[in-house]
Amino acid sequence: MVNKPTHIDTTYAMRLLRRLIKPEYYEDIAGDLGEQIDLYKIKEKVIFWWLWKEVILLLHPSLLRPLLKFEKLKNSNIMLVNYLRIASRQFKKYKMNTAINLIGLSTGMAACILIFLFVQDELSYDRHHENAEDIYRVTVQNFTTDGDLSRHWAFASAGHAERLKEDYPSITHAVRFFPWAFPDLEYGDQRFPGEPVIFADDDVFDIFSFPFLLGSPETAFDDIFSLVLTEESAIRIFGNDWAEQDLLDKTIKLTARGQDFNFKVTGVMADMPDQQHFHFEYLAPLRLVAQAFGEEAMNNVGGNYNWLTYIRTSPNADIPSLTQSSVGFWEKYVDPIRGRPSSDFYKFQFQPLLDIHLYSNLEGEYETNGSIDQVYIFSIVGILLLVIACVNYMNLSTSHFTRRLKEIGVRKVLGSGRSALVMQFLVESTLITVLSLPIAMLLVWLALPVINDFVEKSLTLNLIDNYFLVLTLLSLLIIIGLIAGLYPALFLSRIGAVQSLKGKLASRPSKINFRSVLVTVQYAVVLGLIFALTVIESQIDFIRTSDPGYRKEAIIDLPLGRSFENLETFKTQLLASPNIEAVAYSSRIPTGRLMDSWGANFFRGDTAVDLDFRLPGIMVDEDFLDTYSIKLAAGSNFQKQMDTFADSIGYYIINRTAAEALGYDNPNDIIGENLRYGPYKGRIYGVTEDFHFESLHSPIVPMVMMKAGTRLRRASILVNTQRLPETLEHIESTWADFDPVNTVEYRFLEDRFEDQYVQEQRLSQMINVFTVVAILIGCLGLVGMVGFLIDTKTKEIGVRKVLGASVANVLGLIGTHFTILIGVAFILITPIAYYLMNDWLETFVYHIDMGALIVLLPVVIVMVITALSIGFQTIRAALDNPVKSLRTE
Amino acid sequence: MGDYQLGEFEEIVLLTVAVLYDRAYGVSIKEEIEQKLGRKVSTGALQTALRRMENKGYLDNKWGEATNVRGGKRKKYFLVTPFGKKALDHAQESRQKLWSAIPKIAFDFGK
Repeated sequence: MVNKPTHIDTTYAMRLLRRLIKPEYYEDIAGDLGEQIDLYKIKEKVIFWWLWKEVILLLHPSLLRPLLKFEKLKNSNIMLVNYLRIASRQFKKYKMNTAINLIGLSTGMAACILIFLFVQDELSYDRHHENAEDIYRVTVQNFTTDGDLSRHWAFASAGHAERLKEDYPSITHAVRFFPWAFPDLEYGDQRFPGEPVIFADDDVFDIFSFPFLLGSPETAFDDIFSLVLTEESAIRIFGNDWAEQDLLDKTIKLTARGQDFNFKVTGVMADMPDQQHFHFEYLAPLRLVAQAFGEEAMNNVGGNYNWLTYIRTSPNADIPSLTQSSVGFWEKYVDPIRGRPSSDFYKFQFQPLLDIHLYSNLEGEYETNGSIDQVYIFSIVGILLLVIACVNYMNLSTSHFTRRLKEIGVRKVLGSGRSALVMQFLVESTLITVLSLPIAMLLVWLALPVINDFVEKSLTLNLIDNYFLVLTLLSLLIIIGLIAGLYPALFLSRIGAVQSLKGKLASRPSKINFRSVLVTVQYAVVLGLIFALTVIESQIDFIRTSDPGYRKEAIIDLPLGRSFENLETFKTQLLASPNIEAVAYSSRIPTGRLMDSWGANFFRGDTAVDLDFRLPGIMVDEDFLDTYSIKLAAGSNFQKQMDTFADSIGYYIINRTAAEALGYDNPNDIIGENLRYGPYKGRIYGVTEDFHFESLHSPIVPMVMMKAGTRLRRASILVNTQRLPETLEHIESTWADFDPVNTVEYRFLEDRFEDQYVQEQRLSQMINVFTVVAILIGCLGLVGMVGFLIDTKTKEIGVRKVLGASVANVLGLIGTHFTILIGVAFILITPIAYYLMNDWLETFVYHIDMGALIVLLPVVIVMVITALSIGFQTIRAALDNPVKSLRTE
Repeated sequence: MGDYQLGEFEEIVLLTVAVLYDRAYGVSIKEEIEQKLGRKVSTGALQTALRRMENKGYLDNKWGEATNVRGGKRKKYFLVTPFGKKALDHAQESRQKLWSAIPKIAFDFGK
């Protein structure tokens, strides 16, 4: 008991107290505390907490020792004030220089902040779900007989989710999402045609965190006719004051394929945040569809990949081993195929939720995802821009040094140490960085709406909630201030007092000095960016103008609903207008994707041979080839009366690639041969020239077109664009006669065609903006640099002119300097840029070659820009009367 | 009349120091206040008040002897200075003045 008080000295609480409190107070206060422990008989276990409580209460300003020694503080304050004063005088004296620095730094920072916001947004996808780390999407890979991956679906089959959950204990929850084919929604006398209602399993709310504004996730799916809204859909149906209307249990009528269902509103969720890889507006229990589809369909475990499936695993589940053991799933549920285990043909992949947005680009992605490449590209560009801005500052402030030599000399003579000079320059660079920040923020604020338009996001400059942004801004300030200031500080403070007072350096700056290196770096970055931009632009141009092998102009794509009947009459009525030249039906249209390959045999004589390649296809009518101007290489088009499904006989036209893949180099020879596609054996009637049904990202593959009378859900209408309004009106009114319920929705094929390359266009636009920024900053640097160069060469120019040099000679003198720098930058950057852009081009099956023009164009552009930005000053220097320049001393 | 700054809690502490006379140190003051007045006092608040009044010149201190009970740490005894006494007097006088200035009717409740 007696010795207990001593040991409190060693506790952290007391050590902290001893450190913070005035030394003369410690002994008796510590004694008091020790005595109280005994006095109040404070238990061993709680001493720790009691001490901390007491110590925290003791941290009162009047008991603490002063944080900083007052004298020292006062001194450094005086110096700081002095540094700031000198700095502001400098800024005022050389206004041009200050302005250039401010513009350069703030533009660089603004671009950086924008890129930061973009990258931050891209990286934040799906992170708001509480269990995000343990959620995976179930995707299915299909393999060919040779074991090659043929397709990888973002979806699974109906029977997968439940069986996975039952068979694998580490999978605790599973949910399937299934879209209802756009039912019409009715509430009171309001009608909303074609609302996107999604069915989901009951586990959905245990997997994803969807906050409820009304109702609760526990009771949301109690009734089989439950309907959960989002705030957006609630507003659409019930108006802005939906929250006051007590929506729970209100009845909403949904109609699909002529059947009515009365749903009860059981909850309203918050809108799904932008940073989520799918967005739903209505959720309903999947049990309902399960009933409608019947047991057999719901137990399907092979094919029919229409069920977006997610699982939640127990924390830290071993996904590689789960994937490994899921091989057994296929063997258990799917019969062997052609004598080989089904696991040779199917595999599960479990995609981490957090990787989906940036890394996944599978077949049937629910929404267009981002790309990690883009994140990398922009991060690099952001850093490059920052480098350029810093380099610019270094360059300008060292160029500027001749003007400050005297100042440095005087300071040194008066006893200023080197560290004080270094501090002076660092304070200057930090100050100018701090001043650039508000300008940068202003620029960002102005640019955000435009950028948001580009990238289809809603980025905001939110300094209150986005503390990571604030942190980044602060570190940007410090880093730029230091990096930009360090070189000038070290360089300028190194110069001796006598030298600097004389106003010149003892040794002439050598040709390869640090400043030239800096300018070369700037040139290299600008050259690289222009090069990248040129390649991207040319590639996009190449794709857009290259002939896809079918007509894409003046065709209107009109999707037809499932219930759409009387295709023949519809076509006849459309063609009644003189402005409609042709109408074709097909199951899919060019710019879309081909239907997955059915099983197929080709007949050589009487022996059926399995195809050793995939043969995806579409179903078309007899007008398809003509409407799209797809040329026949051999054989003939379909007859109107042919109908594969009705006749159970196949009628086929294949493309040239398919003919070649079957071993017929001359397409004429394959006409009349037999093909079995799916269950339908039949003849090949024709061979088309190759055309790009899918985008130019993928090569032309063998394909088959089969003539059908049903399952044709797309109308392609070739119109006369001269009288477009009338034509569209005709289409709309004809549509209304056939389908009064749904509104007509059509698109021009050309728009769909452009949409295939929207990613590339966006990339090009963004790089465009940042290249302009880089060039702008680079030009500012050049203006400053050439000013310096002329300053140091005034005498030389004067002497040369006296000795008979012409203006052109003088221009050449300055120009050569920059030409050499551009040359060096070109040699340095071209191999790197060439390599990187070649990599990018390789992602296209059809791409341009980077010829001499593309390689040299950036140099020409940079030369011209340099000439423009330095031209004025240089010409003025060259025209100056030499008498004037020689007289100045 | 001098300007004496004396807060309510400070006044209590100062009075308690006077009450305890030469036995007034941290723990005893705290104990005394807690027992006599029935209010909880934290070491932090007490020490803050003591050091403040020391700086104002109301209190003086002297080191006591080291004892084993306190782990070999000395006590610091506090004494009221004559200036401290004046401050107390002033506080009392001011109150008295106000008390005597209250008209009888002011406390004549309910009749």
